[in-house]
Amino acid sequence: MPMLIRWHDGKARVCEDPFTSVDDDQVIPPGDVIISLTRFQAEGETLMGQCRQVGVRLVPDEAVEVLAYDLARIPLVALAFPKFRDGRPFSAARILRERLGFTGELRAVGDVLLEQAKFMIRCGFDAFEPADGSRADQWTAAARRFRHVYQRAADGASPAFIERAAR
Amino acid sequence: MYQYDEIDRQMLADRAAEFRAQCQRRLAGEITEDQFKPIRLMNGLYLQLHAYMLRIAIPYGTLSSQQLRTLARIARDYDRGYGHFTTRTNLQLHWIKLRDAPDILDELAKLGLHAIQTSGNCIRNLTSDPHAGATADEVDDPRVWTEAIRQWATFHPEFSFLPRKFKIAVTAAAKDRTAVKVYDIGLRLHRDGEGELAFEVLVGGGLGRTPYLGPTIRKRLPTRHLLSYLQAILRVYNRHGRRDNIWKARIKVLVAGLGAEEFGRQVEEEWEKSDKAGVDLPDIELARIRAAFVPRGFETLPKVSPAFEAAKEADLAFARFARRNVTAHKIPGYGIIDISLKTPGETPGDCSSQQMELIADLAERYSQSEARNTYEQNLLLPHVRLDDVPAVYEALKSAGLASPNIGLVTDIIACPGLDYCALANARAIPIAQDIARHFANPELAERIGELKIKISGCINACGHHHVGNIGILGVDKKGEEFYQLTLGGSGDDDASIGQVLGPALPADKVTGAIDEMVAVYLRERRGQERFLDTFRRTGMTPFKEAVYADAH
Amino acid sequence: MKTLTANRLIDGEVVFWNAGGWVERFAEAHPFEDDASAEAAEAHAKAQGTLVVDPYLIEVEAVEGGLAPVSYRERLRALGPTNKPDHGKQAAGGADMLVLANAHGAARSTGRINLIKRPSAAPG
Repeated sequence: MPMLIRWHDGKARVCEDPFTSVDDDQVIPPGDVIISLTRFQAEGETLMGQCRQVGVRLVPDEAVEVLAYDLARIPLVALAFPKFRDGRPFSAARILRERLGFTGELRAVGDVLLEQAKFMIRCGFDAFEPADGSRADQWTAAARRFRHVYQRAADGASPAFIERAAR
Repeated sequence: MYQYDEIDRQMLADRAAEFRAQCQRRLAGEITEDQFKPIRLMNGLYLQLHAYMLRIAIPYGTLSSQQLRTLARIARDYDRGYGHFTTRTNLQLHWIKLRDAPDILDELAKLGLHAIQTSGNCIRNLTSDPHAGATADEVDDPRVWTEAIRQWATFHPEFSFLPRKFKIAVTAAAKDRTAVKVYDIGLRLHRDGEGELAFEVLVGGGLGRTPYLGPTIRKRLPTRHLLSYLQAILRVYNRHGRRDNIWKARIKVLVAGLGAEEFGRQVEEEWEKSDKAGVDLPDIELARIRAAFVPRGFETLPKVSPAFEAAKEADLAFARFARRNVTAHKIPGYGIIDISLKTPGETPGDCSSQQMELIADLAERYSQSEARNTYEQNLLLPHVRLDDVPAVYEALKSAGLASPNIGLVTDIIACPGLDYCALANARAIPIAQDIARHFANPELAERIGELKIKISGCINACGHHHVGNIGILGVDKKGEEFYQLTLGGSGDDDASIGQVLGPALPADKVTGAIDEMVAVYLRERRGQERFLDTFRRTGMTPFKEAVYADAH
Repeated sequence: MKTLTANRLIDGEVVFWNAGGWVERFAEAHPFEDDASAEAAEAHAKAQGTLVVDPYLIEVEAVEGGLAPVSYRERLRALGPTNKPDHGKQAAGGADMLVLANAHGAARSTGRINLIKRPSAAPG
């Protein structure tokens, strides 16, 4: 299982992962699972009725808005980065947090690199499965590199123009 | 001009520290070149033919004299004592070492300079009107808005991994000096029907393999909604721009595919759903930025300067310089002075450290410590008293910077080409040098009049050849450098894409072809027609016949 | 005939393979006897990620006085920019630089073995 890092209260920590990520061609094991959008649309209701947590994994082609109706019952959304250069999950993350009001776990999976920590956290991701062997302490340090931000995003950080007005 | 406050400077310092850490990880093998490359590019560091190239941002082409001196020193300490000014108003240093890059960024940061996002699939350096703040022609200083966009775009967490690079230009004058129609987003500030300031938003312009003029997707955007509207455009692009093929990944392809109307509709839909107030700048911040650009320190002078007039009478060469290189300023008694980096025979756009230092001194003494660099790869002193122009001219002359050729046949835009660039098919610099030497005589050049030649060493079109009155594109044909000529392009308000003249010519035939075409123009022109005007009237035939006469 | 080239990571200098090491002058580059040894060297170089960036094989041919890359792009890399004769490797002078500068024949513009169109070939 890939390592799971969670971001909380300004710190990144390695965590046990209660979820099992399941591919489309695998049998669904007991317990909490993360399944693809396709599988969720087919089997989601059934699975959620089985007293378990069901997380949904989206690939960049899939519009995050399709989850809007079910979002209140979804504890975790995983957004896949097929290649770290594919920036679509950043938009998807912000929409989930800022427009659809998602408060569950927002996990970055796939080609996830330490050097994108700050961008990911600002867009609302709070869990990561790094693909580059990076450690939690490195994620904490990377996320703290910048003392200020220029624009609002999903992390609630105060943009520079607000800081200036407050001085 | 805008002065970086503590927050801005801390941004640069934090970014430089981050890059230092990232370089260390790369050198230690903790990240691969594949993973490091986007990071390196987002700090403007390219690996080119001979060495690393660092592209330093000069936002909206405005520099203080201190900043220009810093660039001169860095070019001297870390490079070969010169820099190359580009069509995107950046400065390139062509001989940089990776191990020096963190130190260079630290030193740049101290003076409010950086190389942030000058490459990579992110929002690039913002460009604006080189005459901003000095021309009577503008409805507002576009740099107020350009600086607002620059801050919003810097380290934008959602838009740092776009399908492709993204370029935005802002103009506020009736005469467009920014080529706004060939930008991913072009913003034209104007007064609407009620006299309110508003933006016309053009999206999907671009050069490269398939040149496009950007259609207007919104005629009137209230200025207070600038950033939220840009967010909507960028989000639609980030979500729907193609990522399967780098040659189809620019926003121009998305706009062309959907059609301007449908694209505009998707942007409006996204915009309406978004929290505009969360993105748009409050008035207090806009006022703060605006205050930095308020003109100050100008004397009350008569419109006509006797010293300036007398100098023109006394010296024909100075009179020519005044005609070609000095433009009327909005404040009476002042002028805008263009400094040509196109001395015939030199590499277009190159400037030595000594020359930069001289210009910095002149800026400090005569131009309120402000200098500019332009889309044409020239420099500029924006606020010079006409009384002082003769002294400035003498100083420029002593440094080989007084070529009176702005906008003329020898004021050629040329990319570095195959001499430096890993992407090029052919060299551009020797072609530019050859043409410029041929027409070096200032009287001849002035007699020909406005003729904008633009040369690119490959289809990426960094030399903007598509919008040259004569465009020259380097191609490789059977192992030799050949050049495809186009005619009738323009990057001005009357923007047009050049048309192909005929089969590509070998390197040694290019200058001769230009000569033939100039002869046709001089023969055919009526009245005050520029080369472009004559071409638009006569069409291709007389030019094509002249160049390819031997083929018949 | 083939030679292996790359850019040095730390400073971007153009370098050429010579029996397991990297040299700065083309004249000291070691052309390969056969494709197998060329490919083996390329594989070896690709594993040297903290030393060089993007190693690749180039075609070279015999010219008057020595060898030269077949491609004019590679000749420029081996020499330096044509607009500044005092910049780049050519500034050091020497007979080997003259061999390159005077190499005859219509150089092919490419000549990179197995040139792949990849995102890294994108413009700036």
